[in-house]
Amino acid sequence: MTQTPADTLAAEALGARLPPLLVAAGRVASTVAQGVHGRRRVGQGDSFWQFRRFVTGDPLSRIDWRQSAKSGRDAPDGWFIRETEWEAAQTVCLWRDASASMRWRSRGVPVEKRDRANLLLLSLASLLLRGGERIIMMQEDARPVTNRSGLERLAAVLDSGFGTDGLPGNVRLPRHGTAVLFSDFLTPLDDIQALIAGFAAVPVTGYLMQILDPAETDLPYRGRVRFRGLESEREAMIPRVESVRSAYAERLKAHQDSIAAICSAAGFGFGVHRTDHPPETALLTLYQALTAR
Amino acid sequence: MIFVAPWLLAGLAALPLVWWLLRVTPPAPKSESFPAIRFLLGLNATEETPARTPWWLMALRLLTAALAIVALARPVLDAGTALTGKGPVLLVLDNGWAAADGWVRRTDAAGALLDRVERANRKAALLLTAQDGSGAPIRVSATMPVADLRARLVALQPQPWPSDRDASADAIAGWHDRQGASALYVPDGLTDGDGIDRFANAMRSVGPVTEVCCDIASATLLLPPVSEADRLIARVALVPRAVAAHVGVLAQSGDGRTLARTEIAIPAGAGEASGPILLPPELRNRLTRLVLEGPPGAGSVVLLDERWRRRPVGLLSGDLATADTPFTGSIYFLKRALQPFTELRQGDAATLLKRDISVLILADRPLTAGPERDALQAWVRKGGLLIRFAGPRTAEAAANDTDTMLPVKLLAGDRQLGGAMSWSKPVGLAPFAAGSPFAGLAVPAEVKVTRQVLAEPAADLASRTTAALEDGTPLVTEVPDGAGRVVLFHVTANADWSSLPMSGLFVDMLRRLVDLSVGVASPPGSSMLAPVETMDGFGTLGQPPPAAVGLRADTFASTPVSPHHPPGLYGPENGRQVLNLAARIAEPQAAPPIAGATLETSRGSSRERALGAPLLALAFVLLCVDMVLSLGLRGLLRSRVAAMVALLLLTTTASRALEASPSPATDTRLGYIVSGDSTVDNIAKAGLEGLSEFVNRRTAATLFEPDAVTPGETDLSLYPLLYWPIAADAPDLTPAQIAALNDYMSRGGIVLIDTRDSGSGAGFAPGTEEALQRIGRALNIPPLAPLTSEHVLARSFYLLSDFPGRFTGGTVWVQRDQDRANDSVSPAIVGGNDWAAAWAIGPDGDNPYAVLPGGQRQRLLAYRFGLNLVMYALTGNYKGDQVHVPAILQRLGQ
Repeated sequence: MTQTPADTLAAEALGARLPPLLVAAGRVASTVAQGVHGRRRVGQGDSFWQFRRFVTGDPLSRIDWRQSAKSGRDAPDGWFIRETEWEAAQTVCLWRDASASMRWRSRGVPVEKRDRANLLLLSLASLLLRGGERIIMMQEDARPVTNRSGLERLAAVLDSGFGTDGLPGNVRLPRHGTAVLFSDFLTPLDDIQALIAGFAAVPVTGYLMQILDPAETDLPYRGRVRFRGLESEREAMIPRVESVRSAYAERLKAHQDSIAAICSAAGFGFGVHRTDHPPETALLTLYQALTAR
Repeated sequence: MIFVAPWLLAGLAALPLVWWLLRVTPPAPKSESFPAIRFLLGLNATEETPARTPWWLMALRLLTAALAIVALARPVLDAGTALTGKGPVLLVLDNGWAAADGWVRRTDAAGALLDRVERANRKAALLLTAQDGSGAPIRVSATMPVADLRARLVALQPQPWPSDRDASADAIAGWHDRQGASALYVPDGLTDGDGIDRFANAMRSVGPVTEVCCDIASATLLLPPVSEADRLIARVALVPRAVAAHVGVLAQSGDGRTLARTEIAIPAGAGEASGPILLPPELRNRLTRLVLEGPPGAGSVVLLDERWRRRPVGLLSGDLATADTPFTGSIYFLKRALQPFTELRQGDAATLLKRDISVLILADRPLTAGPERDALQAWVRKGGLLIRFAGPRTAEAAANDTDTMLPVKLLAGDRQLGGAMSWSKPVGLAPFAAGSPFAGLAVPAEVKVTRQVLAEPAADLASRTTAALEDGTPLVTEVPDGAGRVVLFHVTANADWSSLPMSGLFVDMLRRLVDLSVGVASPPGSSMLAPVETMDGFGTLGQPPPAAVGLRADTFASTPVSPHHPPGLYGPENGRQVLNLAARIAEPQAAPPIAGATLETSRGSSRERALGAPLLALAFVLLCVDMVLSLGLRGLLRSRVAAMVALLLLTTTASRALEASPSPATDTRLGYIVSGDSTVDNIAKAGLEGLSEFVNRRTAATLFEPDAVTPGETDLSLYPLLYWPIAADAPDLTPAQIAALNDYMSRGGIVLIDTRDSGSGAGFAPGTEEALQRIGRALNIPPLAPLTSEHVLARSFYLLSDFPGRFTGGTVWVQRDQDRANDSVSPAIVGGNDWAAAWAIGPDGDNPYAVLPGGQRQRLLAYRFGLNLVMYALTGNYKGDQVHVPAILQRLGQ
């Protein structure tokens, strides 16, 4: 493996930035019980599954001579083959939104939505890697990550302008894979519908995690406020915010319901996470949703 | 209260318009960024928005506008009544010596009058009734706008000579700018000579007169003291007052120290009073000035020169047994004549010459060759004045040619005038020649000489004769010898040969002779003495004014002070003479108010206060408040902005650095023991504040505001250092207080005890040392030793070699080094340099107490000593090792 000095330097600089994030991710991941391992069948793997009698055609190298000796019977009846459990790794595609709307937090909330998304993504990746799964970032020419040392590489990808262009485009995904997307999903429903439809055609299933700031769910402002969007939308002048709070909540609820309906039709899961809630709950939700699949 | 620009108040009518505008214009909306704006677009509130400015904000803005309008109308508080007349105003200000007392009030009163002149848009001219230092004649200034005149008024100083009423009257008569004029007069309250009536008439001729009158007491004049046998009699003269009063007179030496103080009681209605100043001769000879306590002024300072010094005079008689016999003894009359103004000593020549002595008088004691004559000759040549009186023995020795220490060679025998067997009659004295030391003394006719020794005629006999008889024979001869001189009276010192010793002339002649002594050769009467240092109007010595010229030595007694001859020191170093204001000045007499003048008190015409600027400032503050509130309403007031605004407001109000903290347990702070005297306690508090600030500025230590502590009530253990100023009337300590202080000191606390009465400040706080002895007896203070530069206290932060406070030179006492208790940290430091006064800072950050003898260096050293003290209290003997560095280095070297 050859690296240019510039790459090395960039990696070092990244490494210097990363540890707290990784540690945080590891800490969150370790609180969730691990073990999405075996396929409960014989196959390629490390852990012992069963002994079976030798049948003709089995390669000699797979005979467990100790067990065979213990049986005390003559060959080839007394020969046993040691079988391991099949541990095939699942490929999980990860994506998180880094558009301008994600780089925002309201007053009194310590983290931006994007930071929370990063944290969740990395801790989910850590969790998956520990379980032996393959991780692939949802972008063109992405290399899969298979061991825990690849976490830094994921972090580097997150840091390199990944996901800043709105919803992911036409990326070739492994079939029967799992996709997990973190975003605020404040995009029009048609875009989401098109995205999910694209996934379902591969076919890929997965989970959409909507990350919202508490201000976005509660609209806590009062009085006469001029709202400015973050992605070159128009301005909204609300003379008295208190009076529109319930209407806003209804609109948001309708939006979320629509996404949930789109998702369930394609076999996707959908969850909402507020940045003022602890990230562990979101991770647990994801964990359960992925293991149930 | 009046308004200078009342028409601007019409602007108040516009306030309803402002109110309407504020009602119509809603406040600007808050601005927020918001990602989920998609859901807000198109949402419209069903209810109508009450986008109104809150009523309290509206009230605030209306108040701000109203304040600004009122401020621009320039309201004036305490405005005086308008002055009569329309034309120019003549402001007459007395600035003679008597105006120095209350000068600030006088100029303030003049400034207040000018305010009113300015408001009436009139011009003014200024007349000062005393000449200035340039000696220019008194003139009325050009008529000018008040603003220009005010600048001149600020720069004015009182002069150290009296006002000149006649010249002032002439100056007023020469002022022709009188169209509708009126006059303002700020007097000094004294007539200052005879011309007061002319002056008053001249004032009245200008126009209506307004006089600031009658509530500033006229000045007290300190007269030259009178020398008496063992004391100086200080005298004051003043305008008689209806109530009795006391004035203090300080006797000061050349370096500014006060050597004595006397209190003069002035009975009601008295125009003159006196009080004695008792001092030993050695100290008395060091006096250079007497100063009247109270406001400074040329009239309250009297300079002293050689004339007030007492000189030691030795008396030596030829016949020791009968020398003191009343009326016939050889020195009986001498003693009585010299006693009042000299210090007399008697004994043999060797004893007398052991101590410094100015004059030696030999009464008929021949000086034949021998050790005594050699000793006397050497003494004379070093500057002594030897006065010899003739007599039978001298005549006999002269006949034998054995006595050579005489101004003239004497003929053998003596001359008898008159008597039963003689035709001749006793002879009187001729008037003294001009060059004689006795010149000017009146010769009484009853002085007759019946017998005398005669001088051998010689070419220089006339030049050596200083007094002669009517027939021309010498009575007193003198000759310089080395630096000194020998004087011979050709008669005896008793009444055997003449009646001279019984006359007042004898005393005067001896006084003149004694004045010549101590090497102070009296300058010849014709010599000019140049002014060296002269007083200004406040009695401070300084450079002579430009008009000052020299003065003939013999005219000092008759010259009145003037710009040409300001009061002060004249002549060379060894023959310095003083010219005093009070020596040639008329008794102070109260000047009556000018007839027909409008009288005003200076307090009544207290400075008008323009309210415009403060009101405008208040409006500005309200505007700031309004800005903050508006920002808050629009949601722009982030915490950082708020902090900045708060900081801005705080810096304008709280500039004092020392923080107050309620808990002495958590913050280090100094303490002072309440002495019971509020003045002393205030100085101690201000001093410790100043020291704490200095320590905070210069070191990493952080001291908080000092505390007043009372032993026995306050928990002393929280204070590293206690400052204890001793008041003379401090009450004795109670057993509880003694126990608390002893406990404090035994556990490592340090008490700095200050008697405020040593070194250059000796006499400032009389009685404190006794009070310390009385109070301190019960305290467990260890044996003390003088503080040297080797002590840790001298090196705990700065390297110090002396430890001045407000005073310097006093010994500071600390625990002896041998005591190892408390790690050699002295529990008590005792001194009298009044450190707190040196450390003290006033509310505006200046140092209210001058250091003595003075200088920034002394102040800095005082602060450094304080800092060392704090470090010593905080770190103990930590720096003690430094003291041993030389020894350690030496040991390492071996």
